[in-house]
Amino acid sequence: MSHVNHHKKSAPLNLAGARRSARCGLAWLILFSLMLGAGLSLAYAAEAKKSPAALIPKVRKNNLAPLAAGEKVVASHGPFEDGDCGICHKNKEAQNPGPLTAPANEQCLSCHEEFTQIMARKSSHGAARESCVSCHNPHNAKLPKLLVDEVGALCLSCHEEIKNLVTQAQVTHGAMDTEAKCLNCHNPHAANVEHLLTRLPFDLCINCHGQDGVKDHADKSLTNFKTLLAENPQHHGPVSSKDCSACHNPHGSEHFRLLGFDYPAQFYSPYDSKFYALCFECHEETILSTPETTSLTQFRDGNRNLHYLHVNKADRGRTCRACHEVHASKQPHQIRDAVPYGAKGWMLKINFTPTPTGGTCAKTCHAAKSYTNTAVANPGPNK
Amino acid sequence: MKPCFSWMVVASLLAAPGVRAFAHAQIGSVIDNIALTALDGTPQPLLSNATANVFVFFKPGQENSRATMIHLEACAREMAAKSVRWVAIVSDRFPKADVQTAVQETGLTMPVLIDAGDALYGKLGVVLSPVLGIVDQDHKLVAYEYFTKVNFTEVVRARIRYLLKEIDAQELARVLNPSAAIPGAEAEKARRRFKLAEKLFQAKSYEKALENVNESITKDGTVAVVHALKGQIHVALGNREAARGAFTEALKLDPANASALEGMKSVEK
Repeated sequence: MSHVNHHKKSAPLNLAGARRSARCGLAWLILFSLMLGAGLSLAYAAEAKKSPAALIPKVRKNNLAPLAAGEKVVASHGPFEDGDCGICHKNKEAQNPGPLTAPANEQCLSCHEEFTQIMARKSSHGAARESCVSCHNPHNAKLPKLLVDEVGALCLSCHEEIKNLVTQAQVTHGAMDTEAKCLNCHNPHAANVEHLLTRLPFDLCINCHGQDGVKDHADKSLTNFKTLLAENPQHHGPVSSKDCSACHNPHGSEHFRLLGFDYPAQFYSPYDSKFYALCFECHEETILSTPETTSLTQFRDGNRNLHYLHVNKADRGRTCRACHEVHASKQPHQIRDAVPYGAKGWMLKINFTPTPTGGTCAKTCHAAKSYTNTAVANPGPNK
Repeated sequence: MKPCFSWMVVASLLAAPGVRAFAHAQIGSVIDNIALTALDGTPQPLLSNATANVFVFFKPGQENSRATMIHLEACAREMAAKSVRWVAIVSDRFPKADVQTAVQETGLTMPVLIDAGDALYGKLGVVLSPVLGIVDQDHKLVAYEYFTKVNFTEVVRARIRYLLKEIDAQELARVLNPSAAIPGAEAEKARRRFKLAEKLFQAKSYEKALENVNESITKDGTVAVVHALKGQIHVALGNREAARGAFTEALKLDPANASALEGMKSVEK
């Protein structure tokens, strides 16, 4: 992950630019009004569609005039800095630059030509396609990269759905408010992965969650997934697909560990299908709601569905984690080696041993028990 | 060695779906073209003679299914002129009204086939949904894609296009393993300075053009046209020796650079 530090030291105060800004203030006021009238009148035209994405404005209204004299300039655009108004405007004079000689994005791309290629990537930012000045001031700015507002505030000013999620989330993600914020994961112009992600989700997450010493808000150490996955070759489907977002919402969540849907937080839980909404976004609910089956699972003793037996209880139902690792394991089906037991975190061995027609769990939560399914002799459909 | 290695990477990426722990439908196996009943009550075969047959299992009331069906419907419309047949499959465990609501909400126009008694679910070993399969003209399963929240439709589209021979294996691999898009390389900044210098040169602002072209060279001095422009700017400023030096640099990097060759002739006159 490219962590851009936006707290780095500001560039020296640009007095030349500030003086010029005062000179051409009136001209800019007129030009800005014209631009607003002509180009930005469609700014907040919401499309009549259900998708929240349709409610995101196409462009952002900004004051594109140079900063007033005395304001702290952190970034100044080369041509403006040098007083070369004629690079973009009809006239060379700062006092009377006149209109642009070409539409804004065309102007930008004539120098920043690499963006023609960048914007051709699979996923491009609507605001950038529409107008570079949605986010950048073409003259100068108080922020690096000529940004009109801070990353985060700038993004959320249009992406209200995410803003609501972030501000209302009971569980927040450190990546949202540290270092480059949104740009920790997103390329604001275009990317080869959907949602402007600079890489596939796992490849992004592993940048932080692939090292020791990362802690959550409660100062609890978080798993180093590089180590975990290297030591445990059986990976859960979404992990293999590099799709951490299948289960986690990286922007914020009302569920522990940023989970996207309900999943019991404790080892034991009374059974209710809605508590397992996260799992049922991919897995079949019937595996936990059907007492007898010959097809839904191989974890059965004859017809007796042992998933149902363990989980579907009115009080102390075992949650999935009692037997399965959610990310990776040494055994197939993410069956774990051991479960934490007691306050001191002692790992109680499950001692699961597979057999051709079932398996055995020995001296763990219960005395050694074996099961035999009939799958080999009479293969069922859903295993 | 390099091309060989890159093809091994491509091959391993393409083979990836077949090695998933729960992929009970084996890639390469022939899928029986069974008859199912559509939501409207008409009988429909699972597969057709189209070059690509796409089937997707979904569940009403499931967010992942809802999002997937919306995107796949858009993909199906986009590919309407191609030899691709799309069907959605839903278990008869779900009330018909719920299925109809899901179809309405997602704007689904592809046939929705009812899997009575989960027979097809069982036959293909479907344990997760949504899940999608792609079958070729010979009814061989060529891809079995589990849902992912990111890039799912992109991958499906690429797999279909690969089957239709619209893209090659390397292009497919690029979609399956997209390259990173990290901004801000020095070469980009150098290019930008060069373009600005070009504009300033055209505007006869030679001193500023020279500043920018020098800055470009500081950031990336490996581009012949940039040195050639520097030579042209020096010519305009009357600095023949500096121009000669710049054109020489340009020709070292690209002996065929027309602008530098022409510039060199002019300073040697």
